[in-house]
Amino acid sequence: MKEPIYIVDGVRTPFAKAGTVLADSEAVDLGKTALRLLVARTGIDASQIEEVIIGCVSQPADSANVGRVIALRAGIPDSVPAITVHRNCASGFEAVTQAAEKMLAGRGDIFVVGGVESMSQIPLLYSHEAAKKFGAFARAKNLSQKLGVLSSFRPTDFQPRIGLQLGLSDPVCGCNMGQTAETVGREFNITREEQDAFAMRSHHKAVAAREKLKQEITPVYLSRAKGGQTFMDQDNGPRENQTMEALAKLKPVFEPETGTVTAGNSSQITDGAAALLLMTERALKESGLSPLGRLEGYAYAGLDPSRMGLGPVYAIHRAEQRTGLSLKDAEIIEINEAFAAQVIACQKAAKSEVYCREHLRRETPLGEIPDEILNVNGGGIALGHPVGVTGSRLVLTALKELHRRNASRALVSLCVGGGQGGALWLNRN
Amino acid sequence: MNHNIHREVSDAGIAILTFDRPDSTANIFDQRTLDELGEHLDFLESEKSLQGLIIQSAKSKIFIAGADLNTFTQEMNAERVAVVIERGQKTFDRIARLPYPTVAAIHGVALGGGYEITLACDYRIASSDSATKVGLPETNLGILPAWGGSTRLPKLIGLPNALEAIMNGRQYPAEQALKRGMIDSIVHREQLITVATKKIQQSGAKKRAYKMHISNRPPLSKVIRSQAEKKALARTRGHYPAPLKALEVAYASLNASHEESLANEKNRFIELAFSETAQNLIGLFFLQERAKKLKLPKELEPAPAVPGKAVNRGLVVGAGLMGAGIAQWLSSRGIRVLLKDVGPAPLGKGMQSIAKIYGEAVKRHLFSETDARNAFDRVLPIYEEVPLRELDLVIEAAIEKLDLKQQIFAELESKVPADLVLASNTSALSIDAISASLQHPERVVGIHFFNPVHRMQLVEIVRGTKTNAATLDTAIRFVKQIGKLPVLVKDSPGFLVNRILLPYMVEAVRLFGEGYRTENIDRVMLEFGMPMGPLRLSDEVGLDVSEHVAKELEGRVNHLAPPNNTLEKMIAKGWLGRKSGKGFYQYGPGGDEKINSQLGEFQSAEPATVNEGDLRDRLVLSMVNEAARTIEEKVVDAPEDVDFGMIMGTGWAPFRGGPLRFADQLGISTVVSRLNNLRERVAPYFEPCALLAEMANHGTNFYPQKKPIPPTESER
Repeated sequence: MKEPIYIVDGVRTPFAKAGTVLADSEAVDLGKTALRLLVARTGIDASQIEEVIIGCVSQPADSANVGRVIALRAGIPDSVPAITVHRNCASGFEAVTQAAEKMLAGRGDIFVVGGVESMSQIPLLYSHEAAKKFGAFARAKNLSQKLGVLSSFRPTDFQPRIGLQLGLSDPVCGCNMGQTAETVGREFNITREEQDAFAMRSHHKAVAAREKLKQEITPVYLSRAKGGQTFMDQDNGPRENQTMEALAKLKPVFEPETGTVTAGNSSQITDGAAALLLMTERALKESGLSPLGRLEGYAYAGLDPSRMGLGPVYAIHRAEQRTGLSLKDAEIIEINEAFAAQVIACQKAAKSEVYCREHLRRETPLGEIPDEILNVNGGGIALGHPVGVTGSRLVLTALKELHRRNASRALVSLCVGGGQGGALWLNRN
Repeated sequence: MNHNIHREVSDAGIAILTFDRPDSTANIFDQRTLDELGEHLDFLESEKSLQGLIIQSAKSKIFIAGADLNTFTQEMNAERVAVVIERGQKTFDRIARLPYPTVAAIHGVALGGGYEITLACDYRIASSDSATKVGLPETNLGILPAWGGSTRLPKLIGLPNALEAIMNGRQYPAEQALKRGMIDSIVHREQLITVATKKIQQSGAKKRAYKMHISNRPPLSKVIRSQAEKKALARTRGHYPAPLKALEVAYASLNASHEESLANEKNRFIELAFSETAQNLIGLFFLQERAKKLKLPKELEPAPAVPGKAVNRGLVVGAGLMGAGIAQWLSSRGIRVLLKDVGPAPLGKGMQSIAKIYGEAVKRHLFSETDARNAFDRVLPIYEEVPLRELDLVIEAAIEKLDLKQQIFAELESKVPADLVLASNTSALSIDAISASLQHPERVVGIHFFNPVHRMQLVEIVRGTKTNAATLDTAIRFVKQIGKLPVLVKDSPGFLVNRILLPYMVEAVRLFGEGYRTENIDRVMLEFGMPMGPLRLSDEVGLDVSEHVAKELEGRVNHLAPPNNTLEKMIAKGWLGRKSGKGFYQYGPGGDEKINSQLGEFQSAEPATVNEGDLRDRLVLSMVNEAARTIEEKVVDAPEDVDFGMIMGTGWAPFRGGPLRFADQLGISTVVSRLNNLRERVAPYFEPCALLAEMANHGTNFYPQKKPIPPTESER
């Protein structure tokens, strides 16, 4: 990149399993919590922010351009514009890279970016057919017209479509995200046990990392106490004593008879938010702040939507073409765990000469993604995957881990519903 | 010459009277304004071509604030008051009799006479602005609406709504006024004249016809009257005659001619206006106005060349009951607040209590949901270290431990600019002690709020011996900015309010220990006019807090006798008052409460005879004696400060005018002889203070006595 883009500081809310502690907190409240703490902690003059960019997949219907609503409610002056960006599971990356692109284009020096998702509050929807009938009922002028419309309703009209489910389905290939995981699991011959073992490790790592993760978390204060609880200050996804036995008891969700993907070896449905402060070198100098690190390069890549779990492989390859950095340069690697099957498949594909030649047209494989440096503090299976947030969370967690290890380079990547991958190279120095 | 009222006639042939008192943000009805209005009416009555009349105000916040209350206080006598009442009634009758449609275009507050003039118009159109409020607050001042309000409102909106408005003296925002029929419509401020003009043109030169409200006829009217009477008696405990007199007048108006009813308004008004109650309540109004104008003490003048700027961002240290309450209040007044405590647990509790206050405010229509949420968003809870550069003020509200507070202030001093004002909300500790080891003690001041912060208007501003002019100036401006009423006090034990209140609470516990029953102690003071009994108050404050403050005060004020050990024993049982569910009372989960049935072991046997006069004297005169000492020791400048502080800070029987006004009205020599009597019979600490003894000797009073003078010729 022609000039360094600094990630100065960052903070996130704890991640809560959907339907639990943060279920009644709106997405805006979560985003506000992260954003305003970031501003307070860094002490920046919020009026100097060029723009606020927030990733969000399921925007609340009552807060169109949720990024703007969050910025205003976080007390950022109304003179600072804000947008919401959407690249499915990579929305939290997109916020970072879009800010980077603007800075590289000379359009501003200070950006606040992040992601937000309340998966608890994704609404239920009426079908278009039912909605048309409701509309007709509202327009009906007299009793007989009203009765006429009423008689046209069928029981199915009152059966809502589940917004969450729709969001996690690919309308192009017609399959659910879980089915894409089953596909790559089959193709790479990944057993149920491999997946469950991966999932268990994720929980164990996340539990062991509680104190470390606290460094990136700011509490959410609940506006309505839940069972005497007035705040939440740590992730509630990680299970203290996750075992293979417990995991083995779970039934496959997507292919009940033959499948291997269960709720236990998939990422959790989660509420949360994260915020990052990005600056150009000039702004950083003026601020006197010391940064977490910088963005060295990044890439997005597309692939067959029904195999979206392999997205990281494509993105890492493309990022290598851009930056010259290859897997062996990474001291730690984060690949979000949408599904255990999908991450393991990425590991296998990356070191497969055949796969890399056929699909990436490479002479040599991408290389090893060693377990020892992969998702060292756990991933989406244990921590949860609030889809719009995860990208920003990965950047934050990886940078903090680089500091803890006194290491330099991290590669963070994730797969993206709809058949994409994203990969970012981060450097502490 | 500057006029209070301007007149123009629009192209549509409509006369417009604009109230615009020169060099003031408010319009009021004083002598001259009534004169001018009379002159305009001469024209309005004689000019045959006029199509209508619109009355409006040029002020941004106030339509007309009512009659000039000064008329009813100093130098008044019955004849003079009768003249003023009659003049207003006659002037408004002339408006009502104009042969064409008349419209009041109300923007800003229209209260008392300011609303009564609109009642003399055919239509009332109000602006949608949040400043717009209408109402008849007279009964709050111990008087009643006597410029036709008690007569016209029942006819206009029916007895039930009229009685509510007149007897409670509430101020109604436009929306609520519209619901009750007190106004006819709401439009944007910019459209007032256009809509008023249209209204006149559409009414075809006809006056408005009024329908008869069914509730204004018997038997319904009788039922409504007796219900209203019962409610008022329960609410006022017979201490406030004005709502009942107003009820009588409004009810009688239903069966009386207009002229008879106006005469009734006037006569009852005069009866009320000369009572001590009305004089004390009007006096309280002036005390509030006086507090709003609080300035730096003379010896600190001139005020700093660069006046303190408005506070936009504050830091509140401590998220306990007081810290959270302060943060809530500041955020509701548009100030961004960093609320700091040591961890998420106390912050979580604090944020809950803030959310609860806002929730209740929304329920009571004090805030829209959006406004409450935006205000709530202004409070940022933090426990980690954050840069403290952009602050305008710090208020410390940590627990009452001197070493902790000193540590907090020392830490703050190392982090904030040298000129930032650091305030403490301490109620018990010395400002000088808190600031003793600081490099810049001159920037430390006490800003003492009362609990609950969102309800109590009083704030004590405590001046330490080193507090400088700029700091004090900032504190005074700040308290005014957030809509509280300041009283300036010296840094002395308990400051003003607690200094006077504590000996009384301690005495109540002593009486309890002597065997007097809880219900008798509390009832006597309720009947005296306190908002709650002293033992109940201890429960509310928390027995542990009461005990702590009482001991602290006793240790620092020589003449105070130590409290008995009743509270100590109760606290040992885990009884802390309301917060623990048990104290002198027992608090059930459903909000029900009764006397704690297990109190017996803390009491001697009940005295054979209960002399309620004694009971009352021991409690009330404890306060009077201590109040006199605050003057003696110059804790405050004037008796007005004491009375104002006690009424606003404790709800001290407002109709009695405060402890020192009460002493005057009882007679200083009576106060002294009763105290001496108690000293001989009960305990030495009832010894009257030197100031009271000296005043009794010289026959002087705290307040100068007034001498009425008759009306001048021009007033007639």
